[in-house]
Amino acid sequence: MKTTIYSLFVAGVLLIFSACTSSETQEGDTESSNATADNTPLGQASVVDNESDPNILQVAIGSPDHTTLVAAVQAAKIEHILVNAGPLTVFAPTNAAFDKLPEGTVDTLLKPENVGDLATILTRHAAPGSYNIEALKKEARKGRKLYMATGDYFEVTVDGDDVFVNGVKVLASIQTANGIVNVVDEVLLPKSE
Amino acid sequence: MKLTKYLFAAALAGVALSFTSCDNAKKESKGALGGNLAERSFVAPGEHDEFYGFISGGFSGQLSVIGLPSGRIFKVIPVFSVDGEKAYGFNEETKPMLNTSYGFIPWDDSHHPDISQTNGVLDGRWVFINANNTPRIARISLETFETVEIIEIPNSAGNHSSSYVTDNTEYVIAGTRFGVPVPQRDMPINEYKGNFKGALSFLKVDPETGQMDLSFQIMMPGFNYDKAHPGRGKSHGWFFYTTYNTEEAHTLLEVNASQNDKDYIAAINWKKIEEFVANGGGTKMKTKYAHNIYSDETHMATSTMKTEVLTVDPKDVPGAIYFLPTPKSPHGCDVDPSGEYIVGSGKLSANLTVHSFTKMLDAIENEKFAGDAYGIPILNFEDILAGTVVQPGLGPLHTEFDGKGNAYTTFFISSEVVKWKLGTWEVIDRKPTYYSVGHLMIPGGNSQKPFGKYLVAMNKITKDRYLPTGPEVTQSAQLYDITGEKMELLLDFPTVGEPHYAAGIPADLVAPHSKKYFKLEDNKHPYATLSEKDAKVVRDGNTVHIYMTMIRSHFAPDNIEGIQEGDRVYFHVTNLEQDYDVPHGISMIGAQTSELLIMPGQTETFVWEAKNQGVWPFYCTDFCSALHQEMQGYVRVSPKGSDVPLKWSLDDE
Amino acid sequence: MKKSKIIMVLGAFLLLSLFVFPLWNITLEAPQYPEPIGMDIWINKIADHNPNDIQNINLMNHYVGMKEIPEHMPEFDIFPIVIGAMSLIGMIIGLIGKKSLYITWFVVMSILGTAGMYDFYAWEYEYGHNLNPKAAIKFTDENGNPLAYQPPLIGNKTILNFKAKSWPMTGAYLMFIGMGLSVVAFYVDKKEEANS
Repeated sequence: MKTTIYSLFVAGVLLIFSACTSSETQEGDTESSNATADNTPLGQASVVDNESDPNILQVAIGSPDHTTLVAAVQAAKIEHILVNAGPLTVFAPTNAAFDKLPEGTVDTLLKPENVGDLATILTRHAAPGSYNIEALKKEARKGRKLYMATGDYFEVTVDGDDVFVNGVKVLASIQTANGIVNVVDEVLLPKSE
Repeated sequence: MKLTKYLFAAALAGVALSFTSCDNAKKESKGALGGNLAERSFVAPGEHDEFYGFISGGFSGQLSVIGLPSGRIFKVIPVFSVDGEKAYGFNEETKPMLNTSYGFIPWDDSHHPDISQTNGVLDGRWVFINANNTPRIARISLETFETVEIIEIPNSAGNHSSSYVTDNTEYVIAGTRFGVPVPQRDMPINEYKGNFKGALSFLKVDPETGQMDLSFQIMMPGFNYDKAHPGRGKSHGWFFYTTYNTEEAHTLLEVNASQNDKDYIAAINWKKIEEFVANGGGTKMKTKYAHNIYSDETHMATSTMKTEVLTVDPKDVPGAIYFLPTPKSPHGCDVDPSGEYIVGSGKLSANLTVHSFTKMLDAIENEKFAGDAYGIPILNFEDILAGTVVQPGLGPLHTEFDGKGNAYTTFFISSEVVKWKLGTWEVIDRKPTYYSVGHLMIPGGNSQKPFGKYLVAMNKITKDRYLPTGPEVTQSAQLYDITGEKMELLLDFPTVGEPHYAAGIPADLVAPHSKKYFKLEDNKHPYATLSEKDAKVVRDGNTVHIYMTMIRSHFAPDNIEGIQEGDRVYFHVTNLEQDYDVPHGISMIGAQTSELLIMPGQTETFVWEAKNQGVWPFYCTDFCSALHQEMQGYVRVSPKGSDVPLKWSLDDE
Repeated sequence: MKKSKIIMVLGAFLLLSLFVFPLWNITLEAPQYPEPIGMDIWINKIADHNPNDIQNINLMNHYVGMKEIPEHMPEFDIFPIVIGAMSLIGMIIGLIGKKSLYITWFVVMSILGTAGMYDFYAWEYEYGHNLNPKAAIKFTDENGNPLAYQPPLIGNKTILNFKAKSWPMTGAYLMFIGMGLSVVAFYVDKKEEANS
């Protein structure tokens, strides 16, 4: 148990450093294009609040199973979306889910020139509204599709006790301060693909 | 469950750590910005701002007057909520302003201020603003900066798509966010669909006096009419309303009203309907709504209850109304200065949709319809589309224009303002807002002639941007310089209430007409006392009227005797000063109402119940002069039936 | 008609402008009055320079015990008669065309003018010194004597944080020109005599 906590702690620290580094880079970027740079590039993501319930971004940052996702969110510069008032439902692929993608996919997407594509892929994992597993079951029962922030409609299906979105199984729902994190073990891809 | 616990613990650790480390970076970067920005929003002591800003207070119900670029606040004009500071809704003169068909209402939610226009250009005469909760529109005079008229909108609920003016302020309009039964009646809620209505109201504005008159109401299907924008220039004569909940859901709208892939923008040819009505069209319907007018001569408001409204069924005016399909619950509805482009911000849509007015007319002429909704023709999305701004951000809300071919749209979810080009639809710049921006305002930015120097972003959330003040923190707006290719954030400034929307105007179009004081000789208040020698006290049964004057630094009379327990005492107080910025205030111990704050030449009234015998003081509540503290007096209250005669004096004379 | 006669008649006529234009102005400047407050003195009244200025001067002055600016003074009855008569006499003199009378008229006008100025000074003195003993605010000078608030006869003067300015106005200037013209008429007449 002790070691688990310790390793989580270390993971957390590393993440924070990476977050700060990326914030500095981003500042550099904007400054080169504009003399008066944004003084808080992360926007609301940099708000100091260790009393309120953690939001979607904070929960993701804290999860050792979602380091790839967090790194991708930071590379795509969309952290502030995950701390917005919401309500937002985020389908959070685990590190294993990203590993299932063809080799090199993640590395390519993390390159600065692919920020747009990466942002689109990640945004496809967000739906306006609060949909935990129970709510998703209701959507399936009423035959309603789930509208994603990119404009895609994903089908919700139920098999026994399990819920699937676009054919991907939802492993767990975590209530956060600004919405729901649904852990999934696959990356959600557009229906056509 | 176990997973949740782990995640949670780790999150807390991570979060706690992040703040110590990231905070430094943030502070440093702030320091580096320094001088240049400060200079550009700094207005030196004694200097004046370049623009007036009128920022609605949202749930405060009021309208604040600020200066731009400084963000300094000059006045909070009470509109829909009572204000003890100014006695608005407390003194006898202004109580009728808040009268409605439901009786006196002390609060509302003020949303969209809009400045009167002539030929599509701001003329700086009046500001109109809507009350969202109990539907009303108010008119504020830009000579006195006071609310001078409030008219209630019947058959309407959630007056959100309101109160915008046409190019020549021919009309100010209202809409219905919540479909309701018309006329109101007892019926099951789940029979909403097909039975509820959405009334769109057109109020004629008198070109001389500004007085409003409810001309007609169009009884539209029970969609939710969210925002509206008049046509400009070439599209003058049309009005555009965004709709959501075209599903006509009556419950859990966050899901059920988000089902349709496209909702509509309703395009309304109001000139055609005006003509229809002028030729005797429409149906008179019994209803009830209050029309309240404040007079600067009597310094009093009167409330009149109207009992009839002219309604128009869209079916009776073919060719006047069309639906433009627009993706995903469009919120903002904004027309560019030329009148050609109609921007619909589908708040759940990934893209921004821009319709073409020319293409719309063309499609109408060729009767290229995709179908109809309740008999109203629906145009084809592709036929009228001017262009799409592709994936500019998340949660688009509102757009304003700089008059140089650029549009600026706010994005709530991604918390940013995005600048894009009309015609090419390319994104030119984006800047974050802190945090979650709603409306934005460029002075004149919704008219034919924007003054494209500054942009004000009005945020819904501030979190850590200011010193904390407990759970409720300040509301805030942000000022951007938009003169360059890229936007530059100049200033954060706090606002009063939720800064919902604003209107801005160059100061030199307004400041020269600002009134300095009211002329005593024009005071027609029935209880005015125009000189000290006319001061008196009059008994009428248990009611006593005190005709009182105030001038530096005394009241006349300041000793009043002969009041009896149980008397209802009206203080009618006239400020005899005839100088700029010498208001006086008055209040009386135990008065169950607010102070009076009386401008030079004005008369106001408060009521005091004489509950207990004794000698009770009153005093001047506004620090008026060197001897302000001496500006005081006494009322002697004797037992009921006492033989103390009614007597009043100043300096025992 | 001789040129000198016309000049003399014109000079006397200019006196009548005092019925159309104010004679004198006293203005008070202070930081708390971004628009200075002032009064215009006519031959028959004291009037606001801007609307309500006199009420505001009175309001301010009552704190230190100064009297209100009078709405009526005996001078307001006398001055119009004197000015009217002198103008009429001047024009008759002009028509008579006797140069010694021109200069006599000028001398009489100067004496009357001086008397008028003295009267003005006396009123100012009274206005600035005769204070209500019950005044709310009492200032003293460095010798401990009550501070006087007398405005200057002509020119600028600082009283507490006020700058009091006292200067002639259009009516007075036109009167001075009229008086000057009588002297001009005197010399022109002299020249005309020499030439003939």
